[in-house]
Amino acid sequence: MLLVGLLAGMNLPHPAQAADEELLQKVDKLYKEIETLKGSVKKVENKSIGRWLTIGGDYRFRYDYLKGSTKPFTDVNATFTNAQNVLQQGYFNAVAAGDAAATQQFAGAIAGMTSFSQAMTGVKTYNQALTFLGNNQAMLGALQNYAVTVPAYKPENATLYTNKLGLDLHAKATQDVTVNTRLVMYKVFGSQDDQAVTNGDAAPYFADRVGVFDGTLGHVPSTSYLDVDRAYATWSNIADQPLWFSVGRRPSTNGAPSNLRLNNERPGNGGTPSLLVDYAFDGMTIGYAPDIEMLPGAYAKVCYGRGFESGFRSTPANSIADTDMLGVAVIPIDTDPLRVWLQWNRGFNIFDAPTMNNTYFGNTAPKVNLGDIDWWGAGYMSTLKKVGPGDLNFFTDAALSVTHPNNNVSAQFGFQGLMTGAFFNPEAPTSKTGWAVSAGVRYDLPSKTKLGFEYNHGSKNWITFAPAADDMWTSKVGTRGNVYEGYVIQELNLKPISSYFSKTFFRVGYQYYDFEYTGSNNWVGAPVKMSEVNGQMMTTTPLESAHDVYATFEVHF
Amino acid sequence: MKKILSLVVLTALLAFTSLTVVTNASAEDVKMIGVISKIEMAKDGKSATATLKDNKTGESVPILITDDLTLDKFKDKRIVEGDEIRCKFEKVNDKNNSKIFKKTAGC
Repeated sequence: MLLVGLLAGMNLPHPAQAADEELLQKVDKLYKEIETLKGSVKKVENKSIGRWLTIGGDYRFRYDYLKGSTKPFTDVNATFTNAQNVLQQGYFNAVAAGDAAATQQFAGAIAGMTSFSQAMTGVKTYNQALTFLGNNQAMLGALQNYAVTVPAYKPENATLYTNKLGLDLHAKATQDVTVNTRLVMYKVFGSQDDQAVTNGDAAPYFADRVGVFDGTLGHVPSTSYLDVDRAYATWSNIADQPLWFSVGRRPSTNGAPSNLRLNNERPGNGGTPSLLVDYAFDGMTIGYAPDIEMLPGAYAKVCYGRGFESGFRSTPANSIADTDMLGVAVIPIDTDPLRVWLQWNRGFNIFDAPTMNNTYFGNTAPKVNLGDIDWWGAGYMSTLKKVGPGDLNFFTDAALSVTHPNNNVSAQFGFQGLMTGAFFNPEAPTSKTGWAVSAGVRYDLPSKTKLGFEYNHGSKNWITFAPAADDMWTSKVGTRGNVYEGYVIQELNLKPISSYFSKTFFRVGYQYYDFEYTGSNNWVGAPVKMSEVNGQMMTTTPLESAHDVYATFEVHF
Repeated sequence: MKKILSLVVLTALLAFTSLTVVTNASAEDVKMIGVISKIEMAKDGKSATATLKDNKTGESVPILITDDLTLDKFKDKRIVEGDEIRCKFEKVNDKNNSKIFKKTAGC
């Protein structure tokens, strides 16, 4: 056949042969152009924004009905304010009346009060507090005359509406390096502050709801500003090993197993157990995830975070050390059927108050370091598929907190120490051990209905580091008592469009807090048994029980 | 105190790292890191073939996955095309049977 073709070709006229050659040249040129275009398209595809940048987020509308029951107490802040107001008013009245003797008396009292307050701020240690109190018995006695006692009452907010928006950006910057960012806006309807959840102009109920601060920004309602909740870079596969380094504003909130009730995806290698930490730390992590066939998903990491930056040290005005957190996490197995976590955390140089503005106590800031705290935790969560018609998720988590107080006391809180003392009643530094357990279950039906229940218990001296938890009253994981929560999630059967994990759902739930001791989520001062609360001087309102009925409409995109 | 902390951290990491000594990669095992370019589920849903583009060589390597955990992640879209995967597979005849198939760890 080839020979026949050749012979036929030899018989063709020269013009025809020339045309064929030209055609072949054109075909060859076109082929090369196609190959070039393929390469160009590939380059363009590789640079396509969808290849390296993922944008997503979530929106939530939430309704809350809040109701509680308090115990009678003496409001410290109101007492000092009352004393000042009464004395000042008395002075002005005396001046107006031309009563020289009364004027001098009130002026002296005001001067005495001022001196007392100023001297009080200079008290740093337990022994200094004892000396100060001993030297000021008269003033302390006089102060009682201005005591503002708050009788038991039943606070209620029948309609608290909040709006929350989160925007997530995940960028593959270079090979093995990614950058994750989460921006959050969280506000109350009709407000640009946190007053609705901090009790406004009355004594707040809990230390973690006095105001919004660095660690809770974006997690406690405040303004419509878009704040940076997470921003970190991660370098993975270091030296071709399953080793990573990550630094930035950490994904240290909403950790496992809180993803169940929040209807979020599992945290993966990031995050910390929510019973121990729920705080927006700035910090870094070094992690290692070896390939162990008998321990699928195993990894370990060392995490560090800064809770408070003190600034220049050894200056005339600053003797406060930075507050830091160090943690070691070992997750021996991480699969759907079973995820196990072991965690140790250490809080160094715990402050007495975070930096907050415009709170019931005015502008607050750390004034003293109270000591260190150790936390130990262990837990697991599991998903069992095809249990009846649906899937069963459950978890159990347990933790221990051990305080290591130094000799310092907090002058701004009446010489209370790290889990020690009461207002104007200091206690010798003593290590306190507390414990907590958390358990929950969620059953996911094929109808996309998810039924969940959780129980939390904290002992008398339990303290955690979780002010950013998604709870309105106070972080339930830090409760000194019991918290019961039941919820129903109904996802709408709508096809996801923006991402594989897009979903729209409603969530209806109920929380009941049964406080056995005062001071949940507060490491300043010793807890008081709720049944023994009867008018003592306290900085926060002792809440005996609380209810929260909530409903949400949420969209993940 | 610093010594104690260092000791605690070191002990924890050593204890964990020692687990890695228990198992060593078989001579027939191959490890690679690559991005998934294609996932093909078998009709019966009991296996899948994921094609990884080796980060080092750029070659496309087909991996046969048969374990339920990974298959569930394919079905739930928790592992999708474009994800970077750390993989260990065993060469058996002409097939690369997955032994470990997981997303690259991070954060």
